[in-house]
Amino acid sequence: MDGACCGPGYGSPQEAIKAPREKLLYTIAIYTGTGIQKPDYLATVDVDPASPTYSQVIHRLEMPGIGDELHHMGWNACSSCHDDSSMSRKYLILPGVRSNNLHIVDTATDPRAPRLHKVIDGAEIKAKADLSGPHTVHCLGSEIIISFLGNAKGEAPGGYLHLDKEFNIVGRWENSMGDIKFGYDFWYQPRHNVMVSSEWAAPNTFMPGFDLEEVGHLKYGRELHFWDFEKREPIESFYLGEDGLLPLEVKFHHDPDSTHGFCGAALSTNVIHWWKDSDDTWKWEKIIDVENEMHPEWPIPLPGVMSAILISMDDKYLYLNNWLHGDMRQYDITDPHNPKLTGQVFMGGLLGKAPVVNGVEVAGGPQMFQLSLDGRRLYVTTSLFSTWDNQFYPEIREKGGVMVMIDCDPENGGMKINEDFIVDFGKEPNGPSRCHESRYPGGDCTSDIWL
Amino acid sequence: MTTHTVTLGNRGGAIYEVNDRRPLLEQLRNHGVDLPYGCEYGGCITCAAKLTAGTVDQRRQVALNNRQIANGYVILCVARATSDITLEIGVESHDKLYRNPFLDPLKPHELKADIATPKEG
Ligand code: FES
Repeated sequence: MDGACCGPGYGSPQEAIKAPREKLLYTIAIYTGTGIQKPDYLATVDVDPASPTYSQVIHRLEMPGIGDELHHMGWNACSSCHDDSSMSRKYLILPGVRSNNLHIVDTATDPRAPRLHKVIDGAEIKAKADLSGPHTVHCLGSEIIISFLGNAKGEAPGGYLHLDKEFNIVGRWENSMGDIKFGYDFWYQPRHNVMVSSEWAAPNTFMPGFDLEEVGHLKYGRELHFWDFEKREPIESFYLGEDGLLPLEVKFHHDPDSTHGFCGAALSTNVIHWWKDSDDTWKWEKIIDVENEMHPEWPIPLPGVMSAILISMDDKYLYLNNWLHGDMRQYDITDPHNPKLTGQVFMGGLLGKAPVVNGVEVAGGPQMFQLSLDGRRLYVTTSLFSTWDNQFYPEIREKGGVMVMIDCDPENGGMKINEDFIVDFGKEPNGPSRCHESRYPGGDCTSDIWL
Repeated sequence: MTTHTVTLGNRGGAIYEVNDRRPLLEQLRNHGVDLPYGCEYGGCITCAAKLTAGTVDQRRQVALNNRQIANGYVILCVARATSDITLEIGVESHDKLYRNPFLDPLKPHELKADIATPKEG
């Protein structure tokens, strides 16, 4: 699926949009924390409507041990290596948040049946780099960096692990963490020599579950950090305050010339927008504020919990989830200062607005999502993190996670649940598992960066 | 080295012998008991079990808040037996481990040890 001439990915976002339609999708599925004593695994989902196994899991690659808690993943190479014909998008890196192991999976030899290439042992990472709690993976040209949320003891702020292209540990990537208190997600925009990072919490804080009171005790983040990317050190931080509690996912525009970027503040359930202003300074503002909702039986208003955001490849739409409310939303961000709500669908959630989708009872709410390169199909899964699932949606133990597909209209806006597609992870052979992040073999809207 | 017995209340009362030096998770797994775990350093709660009799030393754990400790939870990957003990293991023992934080807030003395304030009165 990669471009014809050279290295992996595409020459530009415009070229990526024209890529052939995705036929396979990889999603991680977990047993950690579910009571089923089996390894987490990488599921291959058939998303080719012409195939007899459309909308089914067609392969499962089990990790070597139990208890990893697979979560996010990333490619060994993306469009940032498009000019390097020696590189290819062959390996998917699957960190285990709890075990600290990094699994390197070969998806190219047989894309339908990925195989384990190598495991970087969590203990080796602790010993060589004093890091634990891996999260976001990005390649940087031919090398790879991964954000880790804690040191070897699970204390914040952690740092960044640097791997070479053979997946050897180079060491810590950053030269300094400055005054950063917590780590989580990051994205970089090379033409502006900038990286932006966000804040969740120390592994020892978020892994056991969510104690709301700890937010007030400043155990969870509320800042965004701007880095001098080449110098590998933070140079400016924005204190977001109550508007930015738990700033999680960070995305720049795909257009490599743009300075606009966005972050979803999960607990505040706001979208924060930043950009470089005409006076050459970074500015931020809150552009979306999802109101709390009253639950029919609860005494207190319920926040949406916006755990993820995604920007379409044409930079026209921003997608977000409200994991507790149960809705996915689409905003037109043609003017990033003035987003317009153009689509909304419900699937699961605590408000009881869509308990069943395509005949499957949904435990959990919309959580992670991946958009097709052409912006027409959004694949959404329902599990957040095993311990947090167990707190908010205990029935997910019996029901497992679900993958839903939403048809999106990139011309006029709008979203609609596709009635022909649903993957019920409650029916997996080893028992109900929970699906989380998804990736396409050809690159996706949450991985590729252009130099 | 002192040895103690571990009785697994929800595994038909199976009894194993352990020492007081090594963490319970490691020793029980060596005995062939299938137990959940993740981080193996006391930070992630995956290995939590419920102590229904006896005492353990789990000073190294950082995953549990004071309410979970009051409800009997112990972190097997760092806890050592300090007497003969009885445990309930696996997620069947997690009935009180997870709570909805919006519906069931913690009182100040129920927070984690580093931020808890002493119970009043
Ligand atoms: S395995 Fe993580 S706390 Fe014991």
